[in-house]
Amino acid sequence: MLGFLVHKDGDVVGVATTDLSKGSKVQGKTLKGDREYELTVMENIPLGHKIALRDIKKGEKIVEYGEIIGVATQDIPKGTHVHTHNIRSIRWG
Amino acid sequence: MFTPITFEVSDGGEIMERQVWAYRRENGSVGVRNYVLLIPVDDISNAIVESVEKNIAGTLALPHPYGRLQFGKDLELFFKTLIGMGSNPNVAAAVVVGIESKWTYKVADGIAKTRKPVEAFWVEGNGQLKTIEKVSRAAVKLVEDATNLRKEPVDISELVISLKCGESDTTSGLASNRVVGRFTEKFLDIGGTVLFGETTELTGAEHIVASRFKKEEDREKFMEMFNEYQELVKSQGVDLLGSQPTEGNIAGGLSTIEEKALGNIQKIGNAMIDGVLDFADRPPGKGLYFMNTSSAAAEAVTLFAAAGAVIHLFPTGQGNPIGNPIEPVVKITANPKTAEAMEEHIDVDISGILKGNLDIDSATDLLWKRVVETACGRFVRAEILNHKEFVLTKLYRSA
Repeated sequence: MLGFLVHKDGDVVGVATTDLSKGSKVQGKTLKGDREYELTVMENIPLGHKIALRDIKKGEKIVEYGEIIGVATQDIPKGTHVHTHNIRSIRWG
Repeated sequence: MFTPITFEVSDGGEIMERQVWAYRRENGSVGVRNYVLLIPVDDISNAIVESVEKNIAGTLALPHPYGRLQFGKDLELFFKTLIGMGSNPNVAAAVVVGIESKWTYKVADGIAKTRKPVEAFWVEGNGQLKTIEKVSRAAVKLVEDATNLRKEPVDISELVISLKCGESDTTSGLASNRVVGRFTEKFLDIGGTVLFGETTELTGAEHIVASRFKKEEDREKFMEMFNEYQELVKSQGVDLLGSQPTEGNIAGGLSTIEEKALGNIQKIGNAMIDGVLDFADRPPGKGLYFMNTSSAAAEAVTLFAAAGAVIHLFPTGQGNPIGNPIEPVVKITANPKTAEAMEEHIDVDISGILKGNLDIDSATDLLWKRVVETACGRFVRAEILNHKEFVLTKLYRSA
């Protein structure tokens, strides 16, 4: 099933389009439909919240919309929840 | 030259109906509502207009907490906002009521430039009860005349539409703001006028907005307004963490101001910007205009209404009930939970986009249809639920 959407190819996060449950295998695609993803959800992620599309290292910039939305404050494994607990604003940090 | 930064768009989708039935005002502007507006110049005149509103059917009072001892730019903006509300094409006629004659006439004369019927009354030397009687008698005639006006067919491109989202979440940037963006592109293509703003909420996406100005001088003016807000925030010795994103935004999955801003600007699609307006300035022509505004919903919508916008498009993620006394606020959500839990607030439910059974173009057609219906008189949910948030932007303390 479609579990998340990705704004742009190259983004490191997707947005859950439904509540995602830990352990489930979900598909995602870019808005343009030019790239498809499949990954295992590592923790429960509510609708609208972000999921890591790959392992992200602490200090790495977070890209969504093809633009920088913040920086990782800790290592973020693929398939886990990306939110205020592990990324922060660069502009108003 | 700046190269405009654009986002992926779908192509296809047809432009829908263009004719709406609306009110052509004395100065040629087009309104979609027909209010007889009772405007208090100051807080102490609220009692009078609220009393008349109860007495005389068809009137609408506009109570507010200001109008005394304001000065300088703050006072100018105050007058501009009241005059702008009275001048809005959704208003057929206005009655201005103040404590004394001078400021009362200042507002009334400002509105009279539109050539619509305006009356002015003041309390000093008359007392409240006599003033209520005078205002009521004037309102009887104004309501009779306003309700005798006939709507006529006009092209939808003659409307001024404003944009501002609220209680946003990631579904806004993913879907509802994108649908508004697609609407905006189509509406501008046929010669419409669109206002957007939210100066602080562009933080992290300001470079994209800056890249869209048609004229270099406007780009510079925009950056000046943008930087002024950033400095204001800094000068307070605080950051906006905790305010931006809001608790509602964070609950909805938005993590940073940059992410919120990138979602926010989807509302203008890939359109280019024709000009920059300061608070409550009327657009000088057709096209897309950035207005310097707060990002607080009621403040921004009030400034747009004062600039002459007649329909507001309000995409929401978590669900914000906001309305405006004179400008219908159309609510659009793509969040399936909000569409269900806050159903009575939502005019256009496009949550099908997240479920995978609705595309951006079909959703844009739904929105277009609802704008046509709203222009023709259909009430939006905010009107039905009595939302009349009128919030003046205050620049600094009064004397």
